[in-house]
Amino acid sequence: MILAAAVALDLTAAAFVALGVAIGYHWYRDRGRTQGMLALALVALAVVAALGRIPNPPVLLSAVIVVLFMASGFFVLLFRHEFIPLGRTAYRGAFVLLAVGIGLGVLDVTVFAHANPVVVTLLGLGLISIWAVFTGEPIVRFWLASNRLPAVQRARMRFLSFGFAILITILVVDVLGGSAVQSPTAVIITQLIALVAVPAIYLSLAPPPLLRRIWRMSEENALRAAMQDLLIFTTSREALAERATFWAVRLVGATAGFIADPNGKIIANTAIDRAHAARLISGRDRSASGSTTGIIMAPLHLTEGVGTLAIIGGPFTPVFGTEEISQLRAYANSVSAGLERARVAERMAAIESNKSQFLNLASHELRGPVTVIRGYLSMLEAGLLGELNDRGRMAAGVMAAKVSEMNELIEEMIESARLEEGGVTLRAVEADLREIARSAAYIVTPMLESKHQLVMDLPERRVRVKVDPDRTKTIVANLLSNAIKYSPDGGVITCQVRSRAGMAKVAVSDQGIGIRRESIATLFTRFGRIITPETEHLKGTGLGLFLGRQLARLQDGDITVASVEGEGSTFTLQLPLAGAGPEAASNGGAETSAEGAPEHTVSASSS
Amino acid sequence: MIDARSVLLLWFPDQAGITGGRTREPAIFPLRLKGRKGLEVHILMIEDDASIADMYRLQLEHDGYKVTVATTGEIAFSTLSGSAPDLVLLDLLLPDRSGFEVLDALNERFPNHPPVVILSNYGEPSMIDRGRSLGAIEYLVKSRVTPADISEQIPMWVEQGRRGGRKES
Repeated sequence: MILAAAVALDLTAAAFVALGVAIGYHWYRDRGRTQGMLALALVALAVVAALGRIPNPPVLLSAVIVVLFMASGFFVLLFRHEFIPLGRTAYRGAFVLLAVGIGLGVLDVTVFAHANPVVVTLLGLGLISIWAVFTGEPIVRFWLASNRLPAVQRARMRFLSFGFAILITILVVDVLGGSAVQSPTAVIITQLIALVAVPAIYLSLAPPPLLRRIWRMSEENALRAAMQDLLIFTTSREALAERATFWAVRLVGATAGFIADPNGKIIANTAIDRAHAARLISGRDRSASGSTTGIIMAPLHLTEGVGTLAIIGGPFTPVFGTEEISQLRAYANSVSAGLERARVAERMAAIESNKSQFLNLASHELRGPVTVIRGYLSMLEAGLLGELNDRGRMAAGVMAAKVSEMNELIEEMIESARLEEGGVTLRAVEADLREIARSAAYIVTPMLESKHQLVMDLPERRVRVKVDPDRTKTIVANLLSNAIKYSPDGGVITCQVRSRAGMAKVAVSDQGIGIRRESIATLFTRFGRIITPETEHLKGTGLGLFLGRQLARLQDGDITVASVEGEGSTFTLQLPLAGAGPEAASNGGAETSAEGAPEHTVSASSS
Repeated sequence: MIDARSVLLLWFPDQAGITGGRTREPAIFPLRLKGRKGLEVHILMIEDDASIADMYRLQLEHDGYKVTVATTGEIAFSTLSGSAPDLVLLDLLLPDRSGFEVLDALNERFPNHPPVVILSNYGEPSMIDRGRSLGAIEYLVKSRVTPADISEQIPMWVEQGRRGGRKES
C-alpha cells in the first residue's frame, strides 16, 4: 500500500513534469508573452513536483523548491495581470506577498525545520495561503469572465480554473489534514485527484482541434447563419462589414475588431474607435498577417488590393492560438467574397440610378429648348412673325411635327425615369373602358391614312374598370398608334373591348408586318424597339410598350402579345374589372376628363 | 402629316395643358378685358431665361398685354412694390431662389398679390401639388403649351384671381 502511494506520488510528479514540458514546448513554438507567464508557472510547478520526489533533500534544495513553488503561484497571478492589469497597489502588494511567502518558506525548511509541528503547520499554511491567493484570485476572475466569452474561450477558461482549483484544494487539504491525510489510501486518493488537474490545465492551454470543435458546436449554427447573411443578402457594404466584424470578434472571443479597406480606410469597427484602428493599421506591415500580442490581422483579398480584418483581444481574451488564426483567415475569405458582392451590387444600383437621374436631368434640360422652338414655330405658323409663303408654311409644319416627336420622346423619357424611381402616382377612378378606347381612337385618328380602316368593336354594356383613365387612354392610344405604324400596307385595325371572368380587355389587332418570335422578348424592355429593314424608317423611342406594360402592371393589369410574322399582331391590354359598386359613375366619360386633369377642374369651375 | 397636337396628346394628355376640343379664342378678347386699374392688363413674368421671356413677351404683347419681365425674385419683389400687375407668370428655376420660395415670400409680403401661374420645365406631381398648395392657380409645363395657349387663358386667370377673393385693398 505504501508502495502504491509512492507510485501515485511518482505518477503525479511525472504528470506535472510532462505538463511542464508540453506547455514549455507549446510556448516555445508560438511565443506569446501572456502564455509565457502560464508556461513559466507550470514549468516551475513541474520542477517542484520533480524535486519533491527526491528523498531527504538537502536544505538548499528544499529552499529552492519553496522559492519555485511560490514563483509558480506568482506567475499565475502575472498571467492574470497580462489579461486584466492589476491595480498599482495590488501589484505592489503581490510582490510584498511573494517576498513574505518566500521568507516564510525558507524559514520553514531551514530554521524551523525541526521545530514544533504546530509551528511548521502554521508556516506551511501561510505558505499555501499566499499561493492560494496568487492562483485563487485568477481562478475566480477567469471563471466569472468566461461567462461572456464564446464557447471555446469559455471552456478553456473554465478548464484552467478547474485545474488550479483542484491543486489549491489538494495543497490546502494536505497541509491542514496533517496525519489524517498521510495514510497511503488518502495519499493515493489525493494524488489521483491531482492527476485530474493535469489534463484539465493542458486542455485549457492547448485544446486539440476536435475538442474546440465540440465546444464550438453550440455556436456553429448562429455562425453559419451569419455567414449566409454575408453571402446571400444584399445590404450596403458598410452594414455587411459591420456584421462581419461583429461575428469575427465573436468567433475568436476577442473584444474589439475592425475591417479596413486596402487604402487603410476603416469601413467597420466594433468596440474600437476609428482613430485607434487607423493607427493600428498604419503602424504595421499589412502584408504580414498573423498574431502578435492580442491582435490577429487576416488579409481580405479584394479587387482593389488587400484589406484587413483585424481582431483585438481584450482583458478577458485568452491567448489566440493557431486554430483561431486559421479560422479567422477562412472567415476572412467569406468576408472578402461578401464585400466584393456588396460592392458589385452597389455599383449596379449606382449605374441604374445614374441612368435614371441622367434620363431625368437630360429630359428636363431638353424641355427648355423645345419650349422655345415649339413656341416660335407656333407663332410662325400663326403668322405672328410675318406671312410665310407656301413652302415656308410647309417647312414650319414639318418642323412642328418633328418638334412634337422630340417632345414625345422627352415625355416618355421622363415618365420612364419616374417609373424607375417609383415616382408615378396613379389617380384611379371608376371609368368605362369603352369610353377610354373611344377617346384613344380619337387621338390617333390623324395618323390614319386612307389605306387603313379602324374598326371599333365595343360591347353594348358598360365595361367598368377602376383605373387612371388618362394613363389607360395613353396605353390604348399607343397600341393603336403602333398598329397603324407597323401596318405600312394598310389593312384593318381592330380595337375590341371585352369583359370576362373579372377581367376587362382591350385587344388591338392589325394586319401588318408582325413580329418575329425571337423578338417578342425584347418588345417590352426599355428602348427595346425591334429594328428590321421594314421598321428602321419608322420613328419611335422604344419606350412606348415598356411604359404601357409598366403602367398596366401598376394597375394590376398587363399587356400581352400574339403575333405571326407577315400576318399581323394582336396586343391585348388586360385590366381588372371594377368590383360591384354603386352606379354613381353613370357617365364614365365625363368623369374621366374631370378626374384626370385637376388643372382643368379649376378651369371648369371658374368658367 | 401628323398633327403636332395629336402627337403630344398621345402621351400625357392630362398634363398637356391644352384641351383637344377647345377652339382658339380670338385675340381681341384681351382688349375687352381691363386690368385692375382700368388700363390694359399688366403681366409680370418672373423668368431668367431671356429666350423664353422674349418669346412669351412677343406673343403676349401682340395679344395686347403689357409685359414686365423680372429675371430674379428680388427684381420681382421691387416690381411688385412699385406697380400692381394683374397676373404673375412664375418660373421655378431662378438664379437667386426657387420659384416656390418666391411664391412663399409673395404670400407673406404681398397678401393681396395678383394670381400666380407657374410655368416650369418640371411636371412632377409633387411639384404641381406644392405649387398649388402655395396658392398658384395653375401649373403648366412649358414644353407642353405654346405661347398662344398661355395667352388665351390669361383672361380666365385674371378673372379667376378677382373672384378668388383677392380684392383691392
